[in-house]
Amino acid sequence: MEPIPRTHLSIVAGLLEILEDYQGKVDAAKIADELMLELDDMLPAIEAAEMLGFIKVDSGDLILTDKGKEYLAGNSTQRKKILNQTLSRTSLFKWLIEQLKNRGDAMSKEELIALLEEKMPDVDAAKLVKWIIEWGRHALILRYDSNSQTIRLGDLA
Amino acid sequence: MPLLELRNVTKSFTSKTARPFVVLEHITMAVDKGDFVCIVGPSGCGKSTLLRIICGLIPPSDGQVFYKGVEVKGVCDEMAMVFQSFALFPWLTVLENVEIGLYSKKISQEEKRRRALKMIEMVGLKGFEEAYPRELSGGMKQRVGLARALVSEPTVLLMDEPFSSLDPLTATHLREELVDFWSNPNLAPDTVIMVTHSVEEAVYLANRVIVLSHRPGTIIKEVPVDLPRPRDPRSDKLYALVDQITSLIA
Repeated sequence: MEPIPRTHLSIVAGLLEILEDYQGKVDAAKIADELMLELDDMLPAIEAAEMLGFIKVDSGDLILTDKGKEYLAGNSTQRKKILNQTLSRTSLFKWLIEQLKNRGDAMSKEELIALLEEKMPDVDAAKLVKWIIEWGRHALILRYDSNSQTIRLGDLA
Repeated sequence: MPLLELRNVTKSFTSKTARPFVVLEHITMAVDKGDFVCIVGPSGCGKSTLLRIICGLIPPSDGQVFYKGVEVKGVCDEMAMVFQSFALFPWLTVLENVEIGLYSKKISQEEKRRRALKMIEMVGLKGFEEAYPRELSGGMKQRVGLARALVSEPTVLLMDEPFSSLDPLTATHLREELVDFWSNPNLAPDTVIMVTHSVEEAVYLANRVIVLSHRPGTIIKEVPVDLPRPRDPRSDKLYALVDQITSLIA
């Protein structure tokens, strides 16, 4: 299964804002330098932005795509719609939506961890579930109640 | 008449054993509707104390604060505050934390919920209504802090180092969102007063930067920032102002 972003959305969005300041193209090392970050610290954000189709990476340069520009220009509802359309198409979320539908729209977090351990034995399933919940909430694909540890389908699933 | 006016405000803390400890001295300043004022100065110069005096959380030892010509005595409900530490209630959900911002409003619980949900959507937190602060990143926690402050539609938003505990990319994004809220005439707030230790941040955001001295904090200078918006955070003009202000503090 293809990966999903493993960093926070506002970090990805901050990266896009900086790219926009640089007219849509800048060397990744230059941004890291400016923010006094190690390039390694920025990699999850770069990977996430690329995975979402917001940037292209070309020999060290980060290039803002039309989709990235559209995301930046949108209000919070439009941004969520873009995230929803993008993440709903990933194999991981497609699979998860199907699992939830098969179970009548509810699954415990433990159950999802167990399913993922079976399906993706090389991955730290508990960590992955944390990111699935965070991005699933952002994209309105999932709802999660941490009291009962229950995952449900979101408004736009 | 300015929206907000401080006349000769002094704050000192006294105890029976030690000499009085003067934090702020002779602060006289005015803030107009629509202003974006940043207050900078060395650490310990009383920047945060000044914000708390402005909104009536603590009284000045001497001098007065006027809001729309009326002396501020006690917490003024046309101002709201955002804190560096977010100051969320860990046992309440995002929705409940935002509803707290409407605590003193005489409106029904349904109306509070409706307004809180709308505000949550505007700060990009839709989908996280039932989350608890512990489930959120720093950037999202500060969005909750912002939503709680803005849900009461305050005229003046006071911000105490709101971005300094966030990673630099998140801070970049939230600064843009704050400017969007402030510059949109249909949305609160009209007026922002922000304390920051980052001179770059102050010059990037503000119409006017107020520079405080070492303790006791006094106003050294008010620097107008006339750069057009949207601003380029890397422009030479911006950096020239940053250098000018930094040399006043150092």
